[in-house]
Amino acid sequence: MLKTTKIVFQNLKFLFLSLVIFSSMMVTLLIISEYIFLEPYFVTHVPSGTEFGFSLITAISVLSALVIPMNLFRITNLKSSKQKMSGGIFGSIVGSVAGACSCGPIGFAVISTFGSVGATATAFLTNYETPLRIIAIVVLLITYFTTIKSLKTECRINL
Amino acid sequence: MMNKKGAILGIVAISVIVVLAASVSSSPSETYDLDMTRTHGGISTAMGSPILGDPSAPITIVEFGDYQCHQCYNWFHNTKPMIMRDYIETGKANLVFVDFAFLGRDSPKASQATYCADDQGKYWEYHNFLYSSQESKIDSGWANSERLKAFAFSLGLDMELFNECLDSEKYSKRIQYNSQQARDNGVRGTPGFFIVGTDDQKQIAGAQPFSVFQRIMDSMV
Repeated sequence: MLKTTKIVFQNLKFLFLSLVIFSSMMVTLLIISEYIFLEPYFVTHVPSGTEFGFSLITAISVLSALVIPMNLFRITNLKSSKQKMSGGIFGSIVGSVAGACSCGPIGFAVISTFGSVGATATAFLTNYETPLRIIAIVVLLITYFTTIKSLKTECRINL
Repeated sequence: MMNKKGAILGIVAISVIVVLAASVSSSPSETYDLDMTRTHGGISTAMGSPILGDPSAPITIVEFGDYQCHQCYNWFHNTKPMIMRDYIETGKANLVFVDFAFLGRDSPKASQATYCADDQGKYWEYHNFLYSSQESKIDSGWANSERLKAFAFSLGLDMELFNECLDSEKYSKRIQYNSQQARDNGVRGTPGFFIVGTDDQKQIAGAQPFSVFQRIMDSMV
């Protein structure tokens, strides 16, 4: 499993892509979830009681940074189908959207724009933030393992 | 004879007007005992909470919040206690809460309930009770009318007065006014804060840590 992962990330292009995906997802989600503030000063903090939410965001960012480049490697280098890519994208999007619409500016914008429909959607995404993020992690993990399996087969790696 | 009749009619007419005026002014939707000129910086806080702390403190923290907002809950439990200890209880600052009830259908009702508690002199007790009783789901029923009444009962409020106030929606316009103040002042989410000093005011968006408030307020003292 580790060897298969190494094959992908030995290619600097995919390593760079992975770092970009991880850092951009992590920073964006931490800002949206109010672990990082940019104004009036740059400040980071993990309030008491929100540690689990922080660890879910970290897990989603790490898994997205693994799964998406590995699937792109499959598609570009091995000319494989794009089917497994959708699992990675789906997991990343669900993980990102869950909790994004709480009482912050995004939630306010959604409710202001879409009225009661927006409020219902916001309430759903806020209320089920943790289960949705766990589902996203499970989807990303399944995609990761199926990608490893398919890379082993397609690359004919003998481990 | 005609003059006497006219005088009697006049007295009757005036009495009717006085009785009507008294009944209108005592209807639940009209009785506010507020200082409508109260402002902090550029914000009208006339319809907001009573002032927490010394009213003559040099700094006022204006908090815009929603009782169903999780981040408001986080701020209430993680940052506010330190602000209370270092600034409000020492007379360096005071705090006004202004309702920005936009998250769900129970949010405006919860805000109205705080002013019904204020009618009996227990605004801050009720406010604290709400933020201590918040549940993780928006509109799950934790802040519906029945629960709001149960909270009032727990605080020992006169239930007849409280129920009448809450059921009549006595303070619904007050909440609308406060939410409009939030929008007019560029608040785009809760909690939102303005730190108002003698010369300037600074805006803070979100449940930011104590260090941020400390840095801003220390620069104003």
